[in-house]
Amino acid sequence: MNPRGPVLLFLALALGGAAAVPAAPGRFFAAVAMTKAQRNSPVPADSGLYRRDAQGAWQHFGPRILGVASVAVHPAWPDLLLIASADGVVRSADGGRTWRKTTGWEVADVRSLAFDPAQPAQVYAATAWGPLRSTDRGETWQLAQAGLAKLYSQTILADRAQSGRVLLGTEDGIYVSTDAARSWTRVPSPAATVLRLAQSGADARRLLAGTQGRGAWLSTDGGRTWAATDAGTATANLYAVALSPRAAELMAVGGWGVGVRVSADGGRTWADRSAGLPVKQVFLLAFEPGETERLWASTFEEGAFYSDDLGRTWQAGGLDGAYGLDFVFAPPAR
Amino acid sequence: MVSIFVVGLGVGRAGTAAEGLALTDADIAHRFQARREWVLAKSISDLPPADPTKGSIFDVAACLQQGKQREAALARLARINQPMPDGSMFWMFPMATVMLAGHEGLDAASWARIQELWRSYWPSRGDTENHWALYYSSLYLAAQTFPESGPEQWFNGQSAAENMAEARGYLEHWMQVTTSYGQGEYDSPNYIEEYVIPMCLLAGWAKDEGFRQKARLMADYVLYDYVVESLDGYYGGAHSRVYPRQIVAPALTPASALAWLLFGFGEPQSRGTVQLVALSGYTPPPILERIARDRDRPYVERELKRTRWRLRHAGPDSFVIGDKRTVPVYKYSYVDPDFILGSSQGGLLQPIQQQTWSLLWRTDRGARSANVFFGMQPYSSPYEGTMYFGGDWDTVTDLIARSKADYDSPDKLPGGSPHEQVFQQGAALIALYDLPEGTRFPQITTFFSRDLADTTEDASGWIFSRGGPVYIAYRPFAAGEWKPNDWTGLLRGGGGGFISAGFKEWGEGHRCYVSGARRNGYVVQVAPVRAYATFAQFQQAVRALPLRFSTAAAPEATFTALDGSVLHARYGAPPTLNGAPVDYASWPLFDSPYGQAARGSQRLEIRHGAERYLLDLGRNLSQQTIVPAQP
Repeated sequence: MNPRGPVLLFLALALGGAAAVPAAPGRFFAAVAMTKAQRNSPVPADSGLYRRDAQGAWQHFGPRILGVASVAVHPAWPDLLLIASADGVVRSADGGRTWRKTTGWEVADVRSLAFDPAQPAQVYAATAWGPLRSTDRGETWQLAQAGLAKLYSQTILADRAQSGRVLLGTEDGIYVSTDAARSWTRVPSPAATVLRLAQSGADARRLLAGTQGRGAWLSTDGGRTWAATDAGTATANLYAVALSPRAAELMAVGGWGVGVRVSADGGRTWADRSAGLPVKQVFLLAFEPGETERLWASTFEEGAFYSDDLGRTWQAGGLDGAYGLDFVFAPPAR
Repeated sequence: MVSIFVVGLGVGRAGTAAEGLALTDADIAHRFQARREWVLAKSISDLPPADPTKGSIFDVAACLQQGKQREAALARLARINQPMPDGSMFWMFPMATVMLAGHEGLDAASWARIQELWRSYWPSRGDTENHWALYYSSLYLAAQTFPESGPEQWFNGQSAAENMAEARGYLEHWMQVTTSYGQGEYDSPNYIEEYVIPMCLLAGWAKDEGFRQKARLMADYVLYDYVVESLDGYYGGAHSRVYPRQIVAPALTPASALAWLLFGFGEPQSRGTVQLVALSGYTPPPILERIARDRDRPYVERELKRTRWRLRHAGPDSFVIGDKRTVPVYKYSYVDPDFILGSSQGGLLQPIQQQTWSLLWRTDRGARSANVFFGMQPYSSPYEGTMYFGGDWDTVTDLIARSKADYDSPDKLPGGSPHEQVFQQGAALIALYDLPEGTRFPQITTFFSRDLADTTEDASGWIFSRGGPVYIAYRPFAAGEWKPNDWTGLLRGGGGGFISAGFKEWGEGHRCYVSGARRNGYVVQVAPVRAYATFAQFQQAVRALPLRFSTAAAPEATFTALDGSVLHARYGAPPTLNGAPVDYASWPLFDSPYGQAARGSQRLEIRHGAERYLLDLGRNLSQQTIVPAQP
């Protein structure tokens, strides 16, 4: 028999966790691929969607599907989850007890999902083949390509300040829809692949974009205009961006060879906060909801780390050998 | 579904191969049936009656289908099915095979475990064209087996009916695209089996008569695509994907293994795909063997294919099918009774394992033969990786090399390059290279097999050599140096696991001509040994051929070939033949004395002598006719 072809996908398995660390009050998911142990194989040794338990250990969650890139949780119904996977969108309405693929053969390589916070029947998906929209909480999906010059997308964000307004990161910069992804219009933004979009929890007008080769871009008007921020990473590939849910001017970026950089003054100044991390290849950053400004970082194959002092010091957070694809914080299940 | 036999079905024909093999329908069918029965008998005997730890799932399927060793087969299957599976579609199709071929012999416990596995194991659909074909054909047939089963009985939460509908939707889409625009993962000596398998599964066991017929037509289509560019079962020409071992040793390809069962070339094969094909009952139409063995005269085969779908960097030459972007691939093969010289236009037509051009010659050395000659530019970059995969720029090359270890090695042999342009006419070929500054491996590599004889570097600048029955003339535009193949020792040292397995047998003793000039190129002219009284006369004829080339600016060459054709190529511009531009715009889907297909037609007319065999995928019918001889 022939060997398998080149599958750049991601698998799943339970992982050893970090030492006991207070866990988030809600659910903390990580979509990862265990690529460090991948040898002579087109698929990672393990990976998938993991949930951090009360003891701080990571436990596999959901079906074992290759290429899990993210998970989205319904803002009002925490038992309704959607997984973004290479095989399509996979949905659970019972907190993860049963799952159903809700996309057809046409859909592949789903990278990011977003419920519309005000009208969560509306869901949006970014896929490597173009975005999708759903009007029934992810039960069925339609293509949402009108107005796009190029279809590749890997990050999507539903504006929590305006229902039906959606931002999409594409190969061709940032596009905005104001009609629930029925049509898209390009906004002035870097002509580059947008790798990650994030919206501030403290100030919905403030958004941050990480790009391929064009560094970090900041918007303070809800994504209508964008300006480069952090000259120190102006040509970097920035895979990770994060904004504090509490402090509007606190943000972080991370990338390849960049490590972690933090700004506490709305992007006017940035500080390298990579000391203590094993490598400067960072793919994920997220501020954990809660009382403290805990910042999580996922490195390329050298594990996840968290910092309670904005990156001045780091603690091991498990996921050893992982290639982080997304961190998602969600309310507790019912 | 209609199958029309207009004239002459089964009529004995007088055609015989050069070796005197009878090629009537009856003779071909008789020999195929004998080989098939041998495979099945061997499969049964390969399952030890008292040792459930040995024997493949295809051995199990053969035993159950043929009503032999049932208890041993069930015990072996129980052992195979004990652990949770892995392998995704490479688990699915063997499981579907045993479910269908062994349907009558499976017991309740086996069925229960099989159903449990389909419920609990989520096989990935994968990311290549062959993955999807395997995945959806297997899913269709598995769901067909339990037609009333609900969503709770399937790994993906969809009912059997939903899974069948999704699977058929994709497979019919794939058939439509392939027969209209060309296959994406085209002409792979390795991956042809991944298309033969799903089509044979469906042709053998789909209950829907129309769908079963369509799959059979598609199997015929895929196999015609192969035989028309084959020589004694070796797959010649340009390939979408080929591994390091098989690019050197065509006898070791899955295509060659299939060639034994289907057409009787090479040594007997009894494992893997040939077992599945034998179990399925698929029988190739006899016209294919007649074509495969008819090499009395040279001919040109032109084919239109397409690249794998491009996610990013699709480029201005891309076009859209549905909502996905692809680029046309223009294939040209000169098929001589003794060799095949074939090429595509160059560029990044396929990720990782492309072979842009190759020369393959007839040999009787079997599995140890390295009867090939080719050149390439060893390109690797995240640009290529992100063009075809959803990975990240900074990790995609590394992750590709986790399974295709040679991908990022300077001594690799498979691979396309965006800096390579090739133009072929007949038995002559021009390759041009313009490597930008910063190219990771700024070199071009030409492979000189250990099977070559009398290789000489002529004072004229030509390098002459002989590969079995073919003379080779190779004129590099810039000087190079000789290096042993695998000069990094990557494959010799076992790098890449399965891809380097058996290196000592197939990989030792070759060498490469490696040139580091960034603006570069070469001309290749080949000719059959039979055409010249001596090697010296061939060399003399080649030396006399007009050749002008320049690498001062964009590489450029004008070459008058042995057949008098004037080939002109300039890097970055369309080539010309005898002063006229090559008409790529009307390049046909298939065009040769053995077959014609127009773009978008979903029809392929296969020809041999007066015989016509039409595959009409659009109308789902085949038609076989004999055209009366003209008075």
